[in-house]
Amino acid sequence: MKIKSNRNRTPLTNRHRIWFIIAGIIICSIFVKSGKEVVSYTSSDKYCISCHIHPDADQSWKLSTHYNNHAGNIVHCSQCHLPPEGHGYLPAKAKHGIKDVYGYFFKDSAKINWQEKKMLENAKGYVYEKSCLECHPNLFPVTLSVNGGNAHLFYTTSKEPLSCINCHINVGHYDKNAIHAHDTSFGVTVTASKTLFTESEKVEKFINFNEKIPRTSVSFEMVAIPGGTFNMGSPDNEPLRKPDEGPVRKISVSKFWMAKTEVTWDEYLAFFRATGSQGRTEGQTISNKNVDAISGATPPWGAPDQSWGKGSRPAITMSWHAANVYCKWLSKVTGKKYRLPTEAEWEYACRGGTETPYFFEGSPKDLTSIGLLKKFFKPDTSYINSKAVYKLNSNARTKEPSAVKENPFGLLNMAGNVAEFCLDFYSPAAYKADSAGMVNPQGPLTGQEHVIRGGSFKSDAKDLRSAARDFTKTKAWLVTDPQMPKSAWWYSDCIDVGFRVVCEADSSIQK
Amino acid sequence: MENIDRRKFIGKTAFAGIALAGAGALITACKRNQDAKILALPPVLQGAPKGKKLRAGLVGVGARGTGAAINFISAGPDLEIVALADVFQDKIDACRERFASFNLPIPVENCFVGFDAYKKLMALPDIDVVILATPPQFRPEHFLEAVLKNKHAFLEKPVAVDPVGIRSVITSAKKAEAVGLCVVTGTQRRHQEDYIETYKQVMNGAIGTITSAKAFWNQDHVWFREREKEWDDMTYMIRNWNNFCWLCGDHILDTHVHNIDVINWFMGKTPLKAIGYGGRHRRVTGDQYDFFSIDFDYGNGVSSHSMCRQIDSCANGTGEMIMGTEGYTNCMNTIWDLKGNVKWKFQYPKDENGNITETVKIPPYVQEHMHLVHAIRTGNYVNEAEQTALSTLTAIMGRTAAYTGRLITWDEIFKSDMDLGPSKIEFGPVNMVFETPVPGTAVTI
Repeated sequence: MKIKSNRNRTPLTNRHRIWFIIAGIIICSIFVKSGKEVVSYTSSDKYCISCHIHPDADQSWKLSTHYNNHAGNIVHCSQCHLPPEGHGYLPAKAKHGIKDVYGYFFKDSAKINWQEKKMLENAKGYVYEKSCLECHPNLFPVTLSVNGGNAHLFYTTSKEPLSCINCHINVGHYDKNAIHAHDTSFGVTVTASKTLFTESEKVEKFINFNEKIPRTSVSFEMVAIPGGTFNMGSPDNEPLRKPDEGPVRKISVSKFWMAKTEVTWDEYLAFFRATGSQGRTEGQTISNKNVDAISGATPPWGAPDQSWGKGSRPAITMSWHAANVYCKWLSKVTGKKYRLPTEAEWEYACRGGTETPYFFEGSPKDLTSIGLLKKFFKPDTSYINSKAVYKLNSNARTKEPSAVKENPFGLLNMAGNVAEFCLDFYSPAAYKADSAGMVNPQGPLTGQEHVIRGGSFKSDAKDLRSAARDFTKTKAWLVTDPQMPKSAWWYSDCIDVGFRVVCEADSSIQK
Repeated sequence: MENIDRRKFIGKTAFAGIALAGAGALITACKRNQDAKILALPPVLQGAPKGKKLRAGLVGVGARGTGAAINFISAGPDLEIVALADVFQDKIDACRERFASFNLPIPVENCFVGFDAYKKLMALPDIDVVILATPPQFRPEHFLEAVLKNKHAFLEKPVAVDPVGIRSVITSAKKAEAVGLCVVTGTQRRHQEDYIETYKQVMNGAIGTITSAKAFWNQDHVWFREREKEWDDMTYMIRNWNNFCWLCGDHILDTHVHNIDVINWFMGKTPLKAIGYGGRHRRVTGDQYDFFSIDFDYGNGVSSHSMCRQIDSCANGTGEMIMGTEGYTNCMNTIWDLKGNVKWKFQYPKDENGNITETVKIPPYVQEHMHLVHAIRTGNYVNEAEQTALSTLTAIMGRTAAYTGRLITWDEIFKSDMDLGPSKIEFGPVNMVFETPVPGTAVTI
């Protein structure tokens, strides 16, 4: 049978075979050659820039050390934004290629938030660690500084994942404001020579007042929040809530004053100038209650204000500890009892009598941008632009308080702009431990991390909810700090948390 | 304008690109790391190989420095000591005389005195190797300078006295490695053939899995110097450096680091934490302790008891002991089974009369220099600075545990900003308080 079928086939002569093989080789090499050329052509700067219409990135790249350097080397787009060959180059190229094609046809480059894409957590998605190390295999060049040596030792021994751009985020795209060192001159110069307050505001009645920080020209508004009882937490049927927000309990809080705005750079720098220290060891002894010996923050690493400007923008990147010491200092210089708000005070003040998810109208389900459908049907959020600074309207940075309108109590930015430290330790089960009808609860007695509240310029709308809880992440927020030990005063990896102060209304205050 | 017609281009190339991407994923070779059991042991040599002449400079020319320099030139052919650096002229003179007595004159213009003498020595272009044998306080800056000036280096142990110095040494070690500078350290047990052979036995399972260890360096009191009238604070302390913690690191570093290093070597890691105590009763000068007793916790229930004492007329002795699931060893030359029978013993060489000696043929102090010269001349790279820095840091962790009375973790000590000594090193009065540490009273480590 077999023999027969063979006979029926046209015999393949040797000559045919040779031609067949040669043709195969030619076709293959054309395919491989053109494939190679295609790959290399589609990785050229010109090709990248042809689609990626972001002149700022082109310009900042040309000013960066990866273009403009002594050696005259130019590091091309794909050398950083794709992994090296042998480390998933082609799959990554295909992945980015598909995304780029989609973006090219369906997105408007002018509307893409490039500022947000530049933020570290996003940049990690398209800067490849392996690519950094491909060109920089020697992490210990002979001329490396002591700080650099410490930082690279930290990198090589860290159990947490660290990437090069944690510290070196501006090496590929120049940022004229970036500092890669201790900024010892941070906040040292007083910007305006206004008249200085000689004493703090005298307060005898429980009404709004304008606090004045003695020996500075800084003042800020304090809003009188009447005591009351409210439902703290979110009900089970609130959309996009998390389990740690329940159960809802009736909580009473006594009257107190709360700052109208988050602590501004002007306010925080008054503290920094008055107490700042050049040394590093004092952080250990600060736990004592002796307010006469308040020593403050060490010089920060880099630019804590992210070069967005200081003034009335909320102060950021200070640690919870620093915020707490700020309150002690403020109490000392004003003779009042300032502190961070308890979580209950914060939520009470934020709600301002409302029992809805937000102190303004709207359902988290409609406002959130999370979910597949939302990719195509963008939520209409224009009406909350005057209420909160958050992911969709912030351009990835803080705004001045004047950008939003007040909540029912007359407070600004309770939702968004920067998240805010509270006095309480965080526990996901804190509410379950509470009994209904509690007065002035202060959270768990012990803990590691503290509560933060109120969403930030980075937050999705669901995290702006009045009941939404979050907490400090000390380890993660100090991952990049190259100092050993790490700073007690500044977070190296958290740019969207600040705080606001409350002032206690003790018995000396008349109704 | 050479603008590319993007859409057309994408149309043409997308298919090829995606096809190739798929192929690329297949082509990516699956490289497997070979699980070779490399014990990273130094070579046991009868002498350093011949090669280009190596000129060495000696920094710190006291007893150990001069000894190390003699060890260096006895390691092989064409090895010379050509320059000296120290803070005291009399030390330089004594060392020069010693070399002159071997008919090996050291030119006077190559002898430098002062705190910056090391810089002048290392600036000499024809020096290939530096031997760093000052008190350990100065090792980090000397080693860094050596690396900056492209010198191979021999570092006496310990290599620093505080964590800031340790991190400096580790960083410099990595810099040296990057540019191919060889570094050998004075933890000579790692170069001793009997230890090396015992280590091989243990690594091949002779005592099973390690369950515990002890390390001890108990000896009579060590040298000290009373202050002479004309000496200022700095002169006095450096003349009596072995008794001041900021210069010496205390004897848990100075001598006991040898035993601690052996335990780290056999364990294959550094301890996770330490608790311990110590005290001072008999010392006459300085601020250090007479004894330490430290529990180094290596995790998984494995501990090493480390003790060291410098008091006369006590039960003294030095060494190590490591216990395993199938036996135990003194790390030096013998393996016992769990019943105490000798399972294996290192065979020491015979002397000229045919009697078995009790020591290895080549003294380990010379062997380590043979290793350094061997590495430089053959290209078999060596760099022991980091491992010795880690063992020194282990000793610092133990010292800190005893001084403070606290539990000290590795992470804490590795990242500590403890930086002993005056901020400015110069002769004259020193504004420092030298109180003996009292456990339980420390605010910071």
